[in-house]
Amino acid sequence: MTAESTAEENGRIRKAQTGDSAAFEALYRMHVDKVYGLCLRMTGNVAEAEDCTQDAFIQAWSKLNNFRGESAFSTWLHRVAVNTVLGRMRKSRREQDRIRVVSDVVSAPETIGDSGGLRDLEQAINELPSGARHVFVLHAVYGYSHDETSAMLGIAAGTSKAQLHRARRLLAQQLKTECA
Amino acid sequence: MNETDNNSFDDELMAAAAELITEVTPNRDLWPGIEQAISQPAKPARTVWNSVWAQAAAVLLLVGGSSGVTYLVLTEDLSPLPPVAGGPTLVFEPVSGSFGSMYNLGPGYQDARRSLAAKVDEELSRLAPEERDKVQKSIDVIHTAIEDINKALAAEPDNALLQKLLLSTYRDELGLMMRVDQITSAAMRRGDI
Repeated sequence: MTAESTAEENGRIRKAQTGDSAAFEALYRMHVDKVYGLCLRMTGNVAEAEDCTQDAFIQAWSKLNNFRGESAFSTWLHRVAVNTVLGRMRKSRREQDRIRVVSDVVSAPETIGDSGGLRDLEQAINELPSGARHVFVLHAVYGYSHDETSAMLGIAAGTSKAQLHRARRLLAQQLKTECA
Repeated sequence: MNETDNNSFDDELMAAAAELITEVTPNRDLWPGIEQAISQPAKPARTVWNSVWAQAAAVLLLVGGSSGVTYLVLTEDLSPLPPVAGGPTLVFEPVSGSFGSMYNLGPGYQDARRSLAAKVDEELSRLAPEERDKVQKSIDVIHTAIEDINKALAAEPDNALLQKLLLSTYRDELGLMMRVDQITSAAMRRGDI
């Protein structure tokens, strides 16, 4: 993000904090793809991801005055989205009722790496248990550290590492089986 | 597969994961739903505690009211009941809004209550002013309880505990009327003797 676009974003945040919904819509347009992508990866369900994205922006609007600029706005928004996903998943068991999987919407690259064993990575991530999937998505896909990941998910950093290990093991099993 | 292979696979896995797409455009515009939600005024939070406090208040009110009524009625002195001439007449008026529109009392109850209330009004006229005051206090306690429970029910129409409390309070009212009837009848019998 350039300095110019950061200044533009900050201006919109300040306006939105005063109740300007047009400024908030502009922020939505800037960040919706990132938030929706995260929600989609975490839930693995298109309809649920859409609901989570809407909820996340509604939550962001109501909590916007809590944003003090201590982190990037996108990071703050990711945090809100993760909390929204976790909150909804606690309430609902819809995670089991996935209608459309991520791979229907986000096509994986034709080949990943040279071993041929990672072709179905998208699908394999989607099939991970939720705890392992959340950690893998935030840490391995979005690049958050274990401290950041554990803070977002409300778990200990050690648990985050353990879940990542579990995710890697399960992914390895699945991908190698498919390869065999 | 040896450890070196595993490490290599892990590295490859993490590298591939980092390459995955992180931004996805939703199939539909999600803004209208968000806009609608944020343009509505925030509803006051209704937590479990509101309900708990309302129930606790109703229970306290009912227990206090019932205890007060029981105490007042049971401590009535049955012996001295001189006939009274004149003085204000006590009337068992139905409490307005009782049960609200969703909690209509049955016609059987209404008939029984009307009949008993008429009889009790007549009996009350025989009591001394101070005795009538005591009964009036009991009536007031019960009616206040009914009104308060109705208010709580208006906020929580499906609250089963409040509905039970309201029914119980109506039973207390009937009990009081019957008690007054018994007291005056007993006093009359003693007077007759």
